Amino acid sequence: MRTTHPLRTRSAARPRLAAVTAVAVAAMTLTACSSGDGGSSASEESLRFGLSAEPVALTTGVWQGSATNFMLTLIHRGLMTLDDQGDLVPGLAESYEMTDDTTYVFTLHEGLTFSDGSPLTAENVKSSLEYYANPDSGSTLIGGLGDISDITVDSDTQVTITLEAPNNAFLEYLAVPTAAIVPEASLNAETPNEVGAGPFMIEDAQAGVGMTLTKFDGFYDADDVALEEIDLSYYADGDARANALVSGDVDMIDYVTWENFDRVGSTDGITLDATPGPFQYVQFNTTEGPFADPLVREAVAYAINRDNALTAAFQSNGEPLEGVVMPDDEALEGVGDELWSYDPDRAEELLAEAGYPDGFEATLLATSQYTFLQDTALSVQQDLQAVGIDITLDAPDWSGRLEKGAAGDYDLAVSGDVGIVTNPSYLLGFVTPPDNFNRSFGYENEEIAAALTEGLRATDDDSRRAAYEEAFDLFATDVPFASIDTRDQAWAYSDDVEGFTNLTGFHTFFSGYTLVNTSLNR
Amino acid sequence: MFSYVLRRIGVGLGLVLLVLTLIFLALHLVPGDPAMLLLSQGDGASATPEAVARVRTQLGLDQPLLTQYWHFLSGALTGDLGESFRNRQPVSEAIGERLPRTLELVGLATLVAVVVGVPWGALAARAGGWFDSVTSVLTSIGIALPVFVFGSILILVFSLKLGALPAGGFAEWGEDPNRHAQILVLPAIALAVGFASTIARMTRSAVLEMLHQDWVRTARSMGLSRRAVFRRYVLRNSLNPVVTTVGIGVGTLLGSTVLVERVFNYPGLSSLLVEAVTARDYPVVQGIVITIAVLFVSINIIVDVLYGVLDPRVRR
Repeated sequence: MRTTHPLRTRSAARPRLAAVTAVAVAAMTLTACSSGDGGSSASEESLRFGLSAEPVALTTGVWQGSATNFMLTLIHRGLMTLDDQGDLVPGLAESYEMTDDTTYVFTLHEGLTFSDGSPLTAENVKSSLEYYANPDSGSTLIGGLGDISDITVDSDTQVTITLEAPNNAFLEYLAVPTAAIVPEASLNAETPNEVGAGPFMIEDAQAGVGMTLTKFDGFYDADDVALEEIDLSYYADGDARANALVSGDVDMIDYVTWENFDRVGSTDGITLDATPGPFQYVQFNTTEGPFADPLVREAVAYAINRDNALTAAFQSNGEPLEGVVMPDDEALEGVGDELWSYDPDRAEELLAEAGYPDGFEATLLATSQYTFLQDTALSVQQDLQAVGIDITLDAPDWSGRLEKGAAGDYDLAVSGDVGIVTNPSYLLGFVTPPDNFNRSFGYENEEIAAALTEGLRATDDDSRRAAYEEAFDLFATDVPFASIDTRDQAWAYSDDVEGFTNLTGFHTFFSGYTLVNTSLNR
Repeated sequence: MFSYVLRRIGVGLGLVLLVLTLIFLALHLVPGDPAMLLLSQGDGASATPEAVARVRTQLGLDQPLLTQYWHFLSGALTGDLGESFRNRQPVSEAIGERLPRTLELVGLATLVAVVVGVPWGALAARAGGWFDSVTSVLTSIGIALPVFVFGSILILVFSLKLGALPAGGFAEWGEDPNRHAQILVLPAIALAVGFASTIARMTRSAVLEMLHQDWVRTARSMGLSRRAVFRRYVLRNSLNPVVTTVGIGVGTLLGSTVLVERVFNYPGLSSLLVEAVTARDYPVVQGIVITIAVLFVSINIIVDVLYGVLDPRVRR
């Protein structure tokens, strides 16, 4: 039935129609004013970069995550750095010499200054490294710098560092972005760590929006730095970040999310640069219950279908991990890479041997905040159910995950991590106290720690290999954690960007170092 | 009228104090340690217990809850909302930067929604027939379509395919007014669609109800033209529920622009709130909630007062 409309007229619509038309025309005019590529204006030497997170206030010596490390690679430098192949090369040091297994003599570039104009001398090297070697500073470099027994300033440009014992990861620790040489005034927890001697310096920052970095002419290699400016914009959302690159709003982004790999990679004029990066694993609460028994932990390591986990969490962008991540080092080839495989029958045998032929119930801690960890947990849940372990998922937000992990409020947990260095000494934190959120709670194995330390102290390849072989034999049966996979970590950039390299392995998060070699070809 | 306004303001202040207390308690009851989060940003080495303890002391989190509450309350009353745990920016400064952006977005979306929604609803009521039916369908879709879906469609079409407008971001008006305006177009439209649909439906039903009143027939019989009756009497009498809808809608938009801000990477107040909750950045969360509460209460007071102006019976 048709409704009666007492005041229906046609003419009344006209003025409103005109108003709507006016709004539409205004919108079209605005659109026409657009630059055409949807992008913001940028000079030829200015790299527009979409960063995945806003860096927190920079605290000297403290590891504050990948976005902050990226900032550090731009505005700071240490004695050592990484080149575009990921090889260790001198940074602020023009050269170094090992006079014996424990003594390093570093010679600094002449005339170094910090971005505030103050001189950078060997005294700054001494004070910075002494600060990082002190556990009270909150530094996470103790594994490498804790061995320093003496730092002697020989001259303004020369410093001699003596270690208590040989440490074949020492130079690599000096290239970690948090090991930068900074002014005396920055050596505390309160002063923002923004004055450095890196290739760029902070020109302007707008909280929540972005930051402009300009080239620092006092950088030791300034003549070879092509970029005059880096215009950072923060894009926390993975889709928004990918959209910004595809639409031409930015030239380059970090941390391409796995669901965007295909879209970004198949876009003309854009390069998706992916490399295996962090590793995922299951950690255990070893203080009580079934997971205090190494046989049960080993059963878990054999129960995990790593290919399934990789597909579920990363759309197969990564590699299954049946051992531990080892450095790209010929002398250690094949060591530690095959400790466990997917073998549910073996898992059931081990469970029966441990006294759990009918399985048991357990809680698996994940997080709702990072989809890839939640998806990994779902896959692990399926695998463990299949061998009789009845899993209940616990997925709080990241903050809750950290708190529960640190307090040991879980039976099992999935986690992802990288080593600060690629040297296997990064594994020491998994087998020695103190507890933290991403290692097996209450776990300690002095034998593995001793073997890893022996590998760290070794001065020749044979003894190094022998030490790590011993460590991983123990690892395979005591299972400090059960590895799952390594995930691909990708940066993406337009074809205008040349010279950038996504460094492989754990160094992927230090790839900002290669922006000194990067240029724009618009 | 004056005492009516005073009464409304008094109730509003009480509400803000209640929200202030509830948000403080809620934040501190939710699990999660801001210090640990600050030192454990994603992948990488875990902070030492000493470092976590030191940060907790720096942030004042080692003090008793009552002491923290007192600091928060006394600070809030004197306008000092503290500093962000994450970037040490004063909270009032952060809100001062972000709020105008969100208000601009919400204001623009509201303008579009009202300019489109009210005439659209009124037209549908007057025109009836197929136009009314199409309006019903379109407004249903407009209300049902999630804002992040519509936003993503807009980006796909206008940014990725046509390259006509930016996919998101932000530019200061003072630095680049053209880009500032371009960036606002898509999020404002995404936000306005659902709101315009609600307003159109509300206007349509209100106008329809008025059109059937006896006094409309009386006015016509007294010789007033259809147009005059509609403009002077029908539309004005229909606007009360519409004004309420707009008032509540604006308040809701202030808190719910988060999805649009996320999709378009627009650094407004809502996205800051979500980031701050995730990072357990207590001062920022508290500051924003207070601000939104004050705004929401103020808008409601304004709507109540407008009610009083439009319909004097309400004041009693």
